[in-house]
Amino acid sequence: MPRIALLSNINMDVVIRLLGKEVDIYRTEGYGNELGTLMNPASSYHTYGAGMVFFVMDLMELLEHDLDPTAAEGRIRQWFRNLQGTLKQEVVYYVSDSYLWGMELETTADMGRKLHLEGLWQQYLEKLCQVRQNVRILPFHRLIETLGSEKSFSMKMWYMGKILLSGEAQKRLCTLILDKVRVETRIPRKVLLLDLDNTLWGGLAGESDHTPIELSESHTGLAYKNLQRVILQMQRQGVLLGIVSKNNREDAMEILDAHPHMVLRSADFAVIRINWRPKYENIQDIAGELNLGLDSFVFWDDNPAERELVGTMLPEVAVPDFPASPEELAPAMGSIYREYFEKAYVTDEDRTKTAQYTANAARKQLEQETGDFQTYLEQLQIVITRVDPAKHMERLAQLVNKTNQFNLTTIRYTQGELARIVEGQEKLVYLYRVTDKFGDNGVVAAAVVDVEGRLPGDIMLKVENREAGQPVVEEFVMSCRVMGKNIEYAILEDVESDLKARGYTHLAGVYLPTAKNQPVEKLYDQMGYRKQEPLPDGGTGGTVYYLELAEVPKRPYAAKVISAVEADKEGLT
Amino acid sequence: MKEKVFALIEEALHVPEGTIQEDTMIADVEQWDSLAHVMIIGELEEKLGISIPLEEAIELTGVGELLEKAGIR
Repeated sequence: MPRIALLSNINMDVVIRLLGKEVDIYRTEGYGNELGTLMNPASSYHTYGAGMVFFVMDLMELLEHDLDPTAAEGRIRQWFRNLQGTLKQEVVYYVSDSYLWGMELETTADMGRKLHLEGLWQQYLEKLCQVRQNVRILPFHRLIETLGSEKSFSMKMWYMGKILLSGEAQKRLCTLILDKVRVETRIPRKVLLLDLDNTLWGGLAGESDHTPIELSESHTGLAYKNLQRVILQMQRQGVLLGIVSKNNREDAMEILDAHPHMVLRSADFAVIRINWRPKYENIQDIAGELNLGLDSFVFWDDNPAERELVGTMLPEVAVPDFPASPEELAPAMGSIYREYFEKAYVTDEDRTKTAQYTANAARKQLEQETGDFQTYLEQLQIVITRVDPAKHMERLAQLVNKTNQFNLTTIRYTQGELARIVEGQEKLVYLYRVTDKFGDNGVVAAAVVDVEGRLPGDIMLKVENREAGQPVVEEFVMSCRVMGKNIEYAILEDVESDLKARGYTHLAGVYLPTAKNQPVEKLYDQMGYRKQEPLPDGGTGGTVYYLELAEVPKRPYAAKVISAVEADKEGLT
Repeated sequence: MKEKVFALIEEALHVPEGTIQEDTMIADVEQWDSLAHVMIIGELEEKLGISIPLEEAIELTGVGELLEKAGIR
């Protein structure tokens, strides 16, 4: 536990006393001299050596009750300038956001003034947080809002001893500060594993003929929907989600993919284990798969027996309690977030995630501005780089095994199979990184080509009339985050030209329909491939296509393609 | 009501139950400093709805007087 200091322009002695029972805290010399304490080199604060410093500032006092916006901005700017001069690299600072409160606000005709002045404080505070990684915001405003200003401030204590906050508000402030101390010192967990029946929705999946599950816009169903909203927000902030549930997989997946009131969809989950195995076995597998320690996991299940079994077998996994009634679900998840997942600050990784979202939004905006699709593609300045699969084995496995929409054959490969394929001579693996003017999309597309036209298993039966000894694209996948930019045309064309350079004259492609890959049903048609005549017999209704490599048509894409050799030279792989 | 007031003061001062009696003088309780006094006056209002006028609250010397000013007898 670090030593802490609480500095303020109002009397915080009671809060400091309360905190003193839990943590080692600096006893201020008087109050209202929060910056002087830091700036005076002779102050006892410096010998104390706090590792975390909390500033809880009353904005009305700081503005000296002058509500003129220009004067206010001057005072706020000056305060932050002074603060910035005292900041030390090795100390973490929490500065409160503001709640402007004072009797004169009751008689201020300009109703927007309070919001405006609080907004000024917020601007300067956020700016400081951007330039100083060790400064964070203490959500004081929300504390007052939650309790209500009538219950948060006490005029009598203010007049008697410059204590502005009521007893209850002081207790809550104490809890908030202790929360932040804890968040700062513990390692957050990474993965939330969830049960399905009576956890994400009410009732049991698969009994829908008799009793539909409870998930809707009203009553109990809405309580589950609101829970899902909380979980989705956590996912967007970097919490990985997983399903560990005992269900008939098809019943559960149908709800996950098609139920109109599901907020969470299967794509939001990093791992899905719907089977009848003991849950702790599934969790152990997931830990291996994600390469994370068991202490990164939180498991949530309505069934106390399941919770107890997981807690006993895997004591490192956190197993929080499950609330007794549906209306407590969403708040309970909020507590789980604060207890296990909340991060003290945003990491580089989180920042990249946000950057990716932002870049996507910018791409969309460009699409709207330019109107014409081809012009849009050109303006994106897409660069497709062929990379060495041996250097990206994990990503390759993830792409071919997790992609469902843009997946021509949905053949799955184990890590071992992929390693043998990449090392061997029988198949060629093409892997691509895509960047554009907004940023790096990462390694997002892969194709596996069998140079002698062999296809695995039963697919073989359906491909008989092809040209002998010519290659076939047995798998072609692309991440959905780069779909819709005709990137696939450029990629397959790169594969074609590489094969042509290797002396081949024909290339075959296969489309095997699944429930999810309709988006690529017409891909080979669009790219000028000819359907095999007669169509092969086959139970799954797959289609085989051919192209003469001497007759590659012009396709509408706009991208620069860099082959592996060049890329290695430029150090891009 | 008297008992509630005693309990509130004991809780605010973190002293054992029974410490505060009607004849307790503020000066005799070590924990009852000026800061604690402000908190007690604040919490009496916040939790029990007992409002002692500001000037009188500052001048208080003992529990009996406090009850009197609060109108509890």
